[in-house]
Amino acid sequence: MISQFFILSPRGDTIITRDYLGNVPKGSTEVFFRKIKFWDRGGRDAPPVFHVDGVSYLHVKDGGVLLVATTRENVSPSLILELLRRIGGIIKDYCGLLSEEAVRKNGVLLYELLDEVVDYGFPQNSSSEALREFVLNEPTVLHTSKGKAAAFAGVGRGPTGVIKSVLDTSRADSKGRDEIFVDIVEKISCTFSASGYVQTSQIDGAIQVKSYLTGNPPIAIALNDGLVIGRREGGGAAEFGYGRASDIVQLDDCNFHESVSLERFETERTLELVPPDGEFAVMNYRSTHPFKPPFRVTCTVEDDPHSAFKAIILLQVRADFPADKAASGLEVTVPFPRAVQRVSCEPEREPRPANSQAWDWQERVRKLVWKLRKVAGGSEHTLRIRATLEDGLGAAGVRRGVGPVSLQFTIPMHCVSRLQVRYLQIPKRDKSYQPYRWVRYVTLSSSYVVRT
Amino acid sequence: MASGDGKYFATTKKGEIHEFKEDLRALDRSKKKEAVKKVIAAMTVGKDVSMLFPDVVNCMQTDDLELKKLVYLYLINYAKTQPDLAIMAVNTFVKDSQDPNPLIRALAVRTMGCIRVDKITEYLCDPLQRCLKDDDPYVRKTAAVCVAKLYDINPELVEDRGFLDALKDLLADSNPMVVANAVAALAEIHEVGGSAAFHITSTSLFKLLRALNECTEWGQVFILDSLAGYTARDAKDAESIVERVTPRLQHANCAVVLSAVKVILKQMAAIGDEALNKALMKKMAPPLVTLLSGEPEIQYVALRNISLIVQQYPQILSHEVKVFFCKYNDPIYVKMEKLEIMIALASDRNVDQVLLEFKEYATEVDVDFVRKAVRAIGRCAVSLERAAERCINVLLELIQTKVAYVVQEAVVVIKDIFRRYPNRYESVIATLCECLDTLDEPEARAAMVWVIGEYAERIDNADELLEGFLESFPEEPAAVQLQLVTAAVKLFLKKPQPRAQQMIQLVLTYATQETDNPDLRDRAFIYWRLLSTDPEAARAVVLSEKPVIADTATALEPSLLSTLLANLSTLASVYHKPPEAFVSRTRLAVQRADELAPAAFEDDSGTPSSSSAGGGGAGAGAGPAAPAAGAPGPGAPAAGGAPAPPSGADLLGDLLELDSPAPAPAHAHAPAHSANGSMGLDLLGGLGGLDLGGPPAPVPGPPPQAQPAPPAFADPFAAPAPAPFASSAPPAAAPLPVLLPADKGKGLALSGQLARANGGPVFRLAFSNSSAGALDGFMIQFNRNSFGLAPAAQAVPLGPLPPGGSATVDVPLAQNAALLAPGPATALLQVAVRSNQLGVAYFNAAADLGALLLEGGALEPAAFVPAWKALPDGAEAADSLPATLGAWPQASAKLAAANVFTMAHKAVPGSREEVAYLTARAATLPAPTQLLLELRWAAGAPGVRAAVRSERSDFAPMVFAALRGILGG
Repeated sequence: MISQFFILSPRGDTIITRDYLGNVPKGSTEVFFRKIKFWDRGGRDAPPVFHVDGVSYLHVKDGGVLLVATTRENVSPSLILELLRRIGGIIKDYCGLLSEEAVRKNGVLLYELLDEVVDYGFPQNSSSEALREFVLNEPTVLHTSKGKAAAFAGVGRGPTGVIKSVLDTSRADSKGRDEIFVDIVEKISCTFSASGYVQTSQIDGAIQVKSYLTGNPPIAIALNDGLVIGRREGGGAAEFGYGRASDIVQLDDCNFHESVSLERFETERTLELVPPDGEFAVMNYRSTHPFKPPFRVTCTVEDDPHSAFKAIILLQVRADFPADKAASGLEVTVPFPRAVQRVSCEPEREPRPANSQAWDWQERVRKLVWKLRKVAGGSEHTLRIRATLEDGLGAAGVRRGVGPVSLQFTIPMHCVSRLQVRYLQIPKRDKSYQPYRWVRYVTLSSSYVVRT
Repeated sequence: MASGDGKYFATTKKGEIHEFKEDLRALDRSKKKEAVKKVIAAMTVGKDVSMLFPDVVNCMQTDDLELKKLVYLYLINYAKTQPDLAIMAVNTFVKDSQDPNPLIRALAVRTMGCIRVDKITEYLCDPLQRCLKDDDPYVRKTAAVCVAKLYDINPELVEDRGFLDALKDLLADSNPMVVANAVAALAEIHEVGGSAAFHITSTSLFKLLRALNECTEWGQVFILDSLAGYTARDAKDAESIVERVTPRLQHANCAVVLSAVKVILKQMAAIGDEALNKALMKKMAPPLVTLLSGEPEIQYVALRNISLIVQQYPQILSHEVKVFFCKYNDPIYVKMEKLEIMIALASDRNVDQVLLEFKEYATEVDVDFVRKAVRAIGRCAVSLERAAERCINVLLELIQTKVAYVVQEAVVVIKDIFRRYPNRYESVIATLCECLDTLDEPEARAAMVWVIGEYAERIDNADELLEGFLESFPEEPAAVQLQLVTAAVKLFLKKPQPRAQQMIQLVLTYATQETDNPDLRDRAFIYWRLLSTDPEAARAVVLSEKPVIADTATALEPSLLSTLLANLSTLASVYHKPPEAFVSRTRLAVQRADELAPAAFEDDSGTPSSSSAGGGGAGAGAGPAAPAAGAPGPGAPAAGGAPAPPSGADLLGDLLELDSPAPAPAHAHAPAHSANGSMGLDLLGGLGGLDLGGPPAPVPGPPPQAQPAPPAFADPFAAPAPAPFASSAPPAAAPLPVLLPADKGKGLALSGQLARANGGPVFRLAFSNSSAGALDGFMIQFNRNSFGLAPAAQAVPLGPLPPGGSATVDVPLAQNAALLAPGPATALLQVAVRSNQLGVAYFNAAADLGALLLEGGALEPAAFVPAWKALPDGAEAADSLPATLGAWPQASAKLAAANVFTMAHKAVPGSREEVAYLTARAATLPAPTQLLLELRWAAGAPGVRAAVRSERSDFAPMVFAALRGILGG
């Protein structure tokens, strides 16, 4: 199985290292780091699995550090990568977050955990909950100045921006409070054709739970009644007999955490589980069912009536979601062809409030990034770009080369699949037991591309 | 290592170590704990803190679990370097394994197993036995893994103490983690030992299937992987397995899903029920697609596996091509894999969508990705006839972008489309001709030249265009030159105008006289001769219908594909290589050689000299231990077809496949060299084609005035026949490997190999004449090779061979530095044999390094260890041999007879293994190479692990081949 496990800093320093089988020569950390640093002459990401001199190196990047395993055998790579991801998760659960500093500050605790997670290269116990009884060291939880907001905006990590160790609630002198976070995180991919039609779209969603409930009570999560799993093979949704079409939420496929009991899922769409401590996905799902895309973008290229050495590009973004919601951190990236030397921008209307938007022309890669701090549902924004051309061919010369436009955004409290938590049930032990429940939704962009 | 670093460390940081020592001795527990933590932190960053071993061990006896854990952590790291001190800890281990606290019991067993010191294993058995039956599942699961650890150190002990049976009992344990570890340990032992530790029978199958539901997710992976090795007895058996495994497809852990897919695919073959299999495939599709929602690392592994699955079962995902469309934020390694799968899934139904995607990708930033996207369009066109026209249109649009690398890629794939659909899309040629100036890459230029030649009659200014290319003819890369020669000939045949004639004379003159490239020269000579003897034949050959091509870029060989499918969800399925190609089970032989060597040499230093004398005598005699068929070097059989004599239309057919230069004869142009002067004809020039003593043939005029057969084709062997020698055939011990079958040699069959006789290498060659007449005048020559080997005389000492007759000769060989082939050493010997009646025959043989080992190649025993250590670790190569070594004295004599001399031999303490160190000196050029060898084996059991160190690491494969020859199978 796994011969060695190590954690490297972004500069290649070894922060944690553990050798299980002793069959990989010393210096494997350097071999590995040199290899990924200079993969394809340093131009690209190395694939997560490769081999050098009979040693296979598997790695994942998380929180800025590299989690690496080496082996000499023909093992299951998905098992090892999954385990590495899981170790990353355990570190987050115990240290509050995964970063170089967090790992350095908690070295001994992590060795203690690793001893329980991997024995002789075999994965053992990988649930943060079960590990708790074997751990004696106290975590050093980092409280970064950026705090919750920064973690919240972090695309891909979900909105759980809580920096808290699972150990906080388990200690007798519990300073943490009883609370549970249930987050529906949806990453959406959407590709629009040049004429504005949706070509492909997909939702990758997860119900993430982060539980800090003392005594681990069982909980029940009830989802939409009209939840349909499996792609329909023709025929409308109505044939399932779930009532009005607007209530239907269709998912292609889903899977569940092993702690989930599905007894009431078929009939009541209710998930029952005893949530282990720490963060985990209760349910992962995927849907290619059409949804209403939250943003529409148009990009037109016009001649400048005054000069053939200029072209005018109008970039228009419309937020197509309810007005009571707002997207944060919208970034619109437009690549330009080689003929464009420089650009100047002006918003169509004076931005209100000031400083709510900005643009950045990256000359080396010929990309314009338009950033809008907050975009309310239903609003529309336009950017007028004047491009200076080197060939004097006017708009015709650049039209083909502008785009595709890509968008990045986070929309809190919005859920494009319309999946909902109808209720979150925690049985009461006594009258005073009032744990905090947080049910939150967030939609994140994964690959949101508008072709031109 | 420890002491060296330690000294350095101590001088610079004396204070720190001293401080640690003080704190470790402190009475205050928390201070002690802090100190151990600091020591561990220092250990992590690579500082050597091994000198603190006694102080740390002293802290071990404590009730403080935290402190104990820390000490154990330290112990695991350093016990190996301090085995004597580690013994000190044993008592505490044994005591802890009986502690009332299960955590401490488990900790003791876990740590003891990690300390890979032989002396500790004896003490480990009793505690382990107890812990395997412990009441606490945590202790049992730790003990299960410990059995695997112990097996790695001392397999007999595990078998003797019945630990394997205890493990099998744990498969039925009530605790999921115990079951998981028992399965994992058994699977590991099975693999390491190759023993039948974990053979699945129908009864254990039932146990495993039941455990599958009880197990942790990791345990499920281990069980599923073991199940994949099980062959179902009948369809019903297979069905019941599939039924139990199918629910695993819904698991959130991707490793479980992929392993489940592997099991189901394997059992599908046994089920044979079409309808059921179809249903199963339908069930597998959504989970496979879901894998692509994971992190990019997981996606990458999934995509590499899916690419194998769709090659065998394209229908599984035929409706899902959309999910493989690239996202703009996918890492490049994911994008490249998705592209490959999109091509595989493209069909008439979805090709419009797919093409649209490819077109988008072709405008992205990453150059390699763009190139691959353009190629993908071409490959779709080649494999989907109905989409070809749409593909062409997309390619034409891309050419309009005028981006250099896009245009060049497009030209290359359009050439392929022309090959696939001849005479259908010629209308685009005009567009291609417009972008001639953009083409600066050899592949694109070669493709364009091919198009011009192929369609010369439809391109009005074809001659002008070609002339443009010809201006730079001498500077062009070989691929372009080859195409230009062919295109010029085609142009001439299609439009025999003065301009074309002039052009062809120019090209052929250059290609036959000025170039060093034998491929180019050969091709030019063939065209020349064709044109000058029979222009009609030339037309028939050069302008014949070409075979239709197909898209084979992705297709893996069926046998490799089935191997990889059986290894789904393993590293093999990610690398697309069979496991043998990258898995080596060698423990660090280097380290152990250093440990063992000094002791070993004191033991038996007398052996080498005596065996060396015996070796010389044996070699001079009848050669009883004549090296058996040396395994031919890797490239040898493959290259066999390449330098075939230029004869017949089949070769010309090959020449029409002008896409890539033939690999083998590139270095065939050897300088004239000979021992007997008048025979100085370069036979190997002939290998390249039709080299001649005189000047090249006059420039051929237009075909009607063809020259009479030019002197160019005079027989290079038109020299006095050699005096026939009496056949001095040595007795052939084993049948010699066949080098030239009779059907290839026009009736002359040759088999042979290198051997050693009379203290020098010989080429032992068996001739067998199945042609109609007697053969005589045999001559032989070698091409340049990695050892500078050549026959001492060109004439073969063999008299006339009557029809049906056969004879074996030893051709004495000499070594000549002038005949040394450049580059890393290979075993390839290219040989030409000529007879008066049949002309020249070419074939490949393997140079057996065993024939070059010198008598008296032994070292002074004292010199071996320094020599071994002087060579860097990187100079070592290892391999395993299939031989079974019996008693060492016999094996040693056998090796000595082959000039491999024993330096030391001893048993590895604590195991059945034996180890021997040997040396040999190979007669290589420019200087002899001393080879240092290490052999390890278990007495009586098959399999020998060999490691070799030498100045020349490129000899290693040949050393192993020679050892295989000496030791047998």
